[in-house]
Amino acid sequence: MKILVCIKHVPDMESRFRVNEAGNWYDERDLAFRLNEYDEFAVEQAVRVKEQLGGAADITILSIGPDRVIEAVKKGLAMGGDRGVHIKDDLVYQKDPWQVASVIAAFARDKNFDLVFTGMQSQDRGSAQIGAAAAELLDYACITTLVSFEISGDVVTARRELEGGMRGAVRFKLPAVVTCQLGLNTPRYPTLPNIMKAKQKELLTFPIADFLNVESLAETEKMYPPERKGRGLVLEGDVNELADKLASILKEKAPALR
Amino acid sequence: MDITREIYWNVGHGVVLPMYLFAALTLVILIYGFVRRIRVYRQGKRLQRLDRLPKRILRLVNRGIGQLRVMLVKAPGIAHALQFWGILLLFIGTVLVLIQVDFTEPLFDFQFLKGTFYQVFSLTLDLAGFVVFIMLVAFGVRRYFYKPKGLATTRDDYIIYGLLTLILLTGFLVEGARMAVTEVASRPDLTALSPVGLLVARPLAGLDESVVRQIHVLTWWTHFFLVMTIIALVPFTKFRHIFTTPVNYLFADLREKGAIDTLNLEAADADHFGAAAVADLTWKDIFDADACTSCKRCQDRCPAWNTDKPLSPMKVVQQIGEVAFGRPQANLIETVTTDVLWACTTCYACQEICPADIEHVNKILEMRRHLVLMQGEFPGGEVQTAVNNTEVNGNPFGLAYASRGDWAEGLDVQRMADGGKVDVLYFAGCYASFDKRNQSVAQNFIRICNAAGIKVGILGKEEKCCGEPVRKLGNEYLYQMVAAENIKQFKAYGVSRIVTTCPHCFNTLGRNYRDLGLEVEVEHYTVFLERLIREGALHLNPQEFDFTYHDSCYIGRYKGIIKEPRQIMHQAGGSITEMAKSKNESFCCGGGGGRVLAEEKLGRRINVERVKMAEATGAPMLVSNCPFCLTMFEDGIKTGGSEGKLKVRDLAEIIGERIAQK
Repeated sequence: MKILVCIKHVPDMESRFRVNEAGNWYDERDLAFRLNEYDEFAVEQAVRVKEQLGGAADITILSIGPDRVIEAVKKGLAMGGDRGVHIKDDLVYQKDPWQVASVIAAFARDKNFDLVFTGMQSQDRGSAQIGAAAAELLDYACITTLVSFEISGDVVTARRELEGGMRGAVRFKLPAVVTCQLGLNTPRYPTLPNIMKAKQKELLTFPIADFLNVESLAETEKMYPPERKGRGLVLEGDVNELADKLASILKEKAPALR
Repeated sequence: MDITREIYWNVGHGVVLPMYLFAALTLVILIYGFVRRIRVYRQGKRLQRLDRLPKRILRLVNRGIGQLRVMLVKAPGIAHALQFWGILLLFIGTVLVLIQVDFTEPLFDFQFLKGTFYQVFSLTLDLAGFVVFIMLVAFGVRRYFYKPKGLATTRDDYIIYGLLTLILLTGFLVEGARMAVTEVASRPDLTALSPVGLLVARPLAGLDESVVRQIHVLTWWTHFFLVMTIIALVPFTKFRHIFTTPVNYLFADLREKGAIDTLNLEAADADHFGAAAVADLTWKDIFDADACTSCKRCQDRCPAWNTDKPLSPMKVVQQIGEVAFGRPQANLIETVTTDVLWACTTCYACQEICPADIEHVNKILEMRRHLVLMQGEFPGGEVQTAVNNTEVNGNPFGLAYASRGDWAEGLDVQRMADGGKVDVLYFAGCYASFDKRNQSVAQNFIRICNAAGIKVGILGKEEKCCGEPVRKLGNEYLYQMVAAENIKQFKAYGVSRIVTTCPHCFNTLGRNYRDLGLEVEVEHYTVFLERLIREGALHLNPQEFDFTYHDSCYIGRYKGIIKEPRQIMHQAGGSITEMAKSKNESFCCGGGGGRVLAEEKLGRRINVERVKMAEATGAPMLVSNCPFCLTMFEDGIKTGGSEGKLKVRDLAEIIGERIAQK
């Protein structure tokens, strides 16, 4: 089985974000980067499929971006990927989701992947479009926001997380693109021998021009922090006093309680 | 008349041949027993433990012959020492007899057991026997009637007690029978040299001489065979510790306390890390199990054991022995269990007290290394998150690395990146950098330095976790990664002197980073401040306060810094009430060994236990010197219901409030 995992190297969400000089994205200085959380679920699930098949699977880990994304690819390889692909683009943040999905599709088109795993969304841009758009371009089935995944032959039984605490059960045939949601699995911590082995694994690098063949459909015009409205309130005192204070604030400020 | 006695009286020189034959047989059994055990020790990895031999021999003499370690616990320790010295004297006495009667006399016609020497010899051995006997009774009462909690009695204990008691009784009977015939009536001058033997001799003297002679021959042989039995049994019972424990003093780890092997992670053949089987440990780790006497002093002091967690350091050491001898292929981690391994706070109380120089902590660390590096396992998801955070942001909280220096906003400190000369680099560490409660420690420390005219530099966002918590959890890889980055910064700025407020950073930078190429003077602020005060650079404005002081493990036990903090607090106007467990015997806060990052899911909470000990002193304030302790105690005071009764402060906060302006 051939598996593709599409991952993104994103800033840690605790980082101190600043808008860049052009005002259209964040400034990368002072940011700590890590593997996008949802993509980590994707890598983990791919590796579990490979383990279930007794190793009869080949996992390609793909990431688009500047050189720093190799770090995320290496993490994917340390977790159990077989080869890394780095599509180099220092200006990836200026590409819209449609272009990114097109690049992935262009890379995957002639390679007959049976399964494409990716995160439900990236933690930084959060468009949640890549998986779905790539599936459309590849003419694969697409199942989003997976919280469970079971494969038997070429049939997958899975559960999706829906709005309002609902779950949806789906069954589909390969090939397919699936996007992974929190709760799907607990990603493993790479073992040291696997980290060391990952350093020796194949890592292919391509310029983005090799796969980019569409114009952007949307451009980021401006990036800005939202205006600060109101502030948190910290109550202090003993429990009874706190309860009274809280009750009066709720009475005053929450219309539903009136 | 000669002042001596006839050797081989009543049994005659005819016993010599059979006696030596049996002695030789005994020796063969003894050697066979140990050879078999040595084969088992050799399953472990190689380790050089005979360098600096004179130092090792001195240690053997002090701790073995001198019994200095055993006597650290007063009552049973002194009793053991008396018994040991008694048996040693009896053994030496017997060897002296043997040397004279079978060597110097037949070969050179030379006797030395006569005159004054015989007087001393006779009296010494008689009294030594008496002391050993009394100690046996005392130990018997302790072991079988008044039994201390946790003292396990095994088959070996019955065998050894039984044999030793019989050997002593038959010994006195042999002596008494001989004296009854040869001394009681005719040589009162000699009987005075054997007052205990005389007690046995008197009633025997009333019997018919031939009966006494028969009793003598019988007990002589019985005594002989009992002694041969106990010697032959040495390698096969707990009594082996009379060899293995002293030898363990010889094989001791002479490195600085807290030294940890720095793994070579890049070695070409490195595909296996940590210990999952006895073969992954060193021979010394297996030997330690044989040196253990089950005295359970480690267990008595273990903070995990004392709060109903499954970890007993003694049991871990013994399990390694059981696996090595019984099931060498078995998975050691499964035998010891992960709950046990994760419970350790690396507080070192076990190793500090161990009378056999056993090294508990690094064994646990080796098994943790296997869990983390080979299996990617942690004590819980929260720990894995903290480890990932350390990897990404250089701190376990996962807070933005770029905000690491924010605590110093508005203070007179030099960010190294801005250039300029500094007197010392303050390595703040993760807690003082990010944790709200601990930021006050860092800020106070800077104010104190300012007042003393010390120019302080910080790395700010270029500083990373020192790597101690993750290393103690077994993650050597991440430790070496962050360490290398910190060392790179120290070298880039030509740092020559570092001060920390965190004992964990202090130990790691000052000792463990040396393996990675950092040779810089590192001080903990307690020592640094004590000197500033002593040299007159820092003036205090003392205000009276009552407090009790918690010796953090990594400052007290690991580094022996016990006087300085007390001295500073005294100068600041403090009156101390010590806790029962203090100084070298301090009880861990529960935060060491990376446990500060883990939830405490088993047993009672260690921090609450320690807070209660502090509360019991009646002092309203608990002072510590460590960010982990401060965090654990703040939490322990809240969860243990001690709010309003006890406050916890860091030493830097106390001093910061008492700076006298010049």
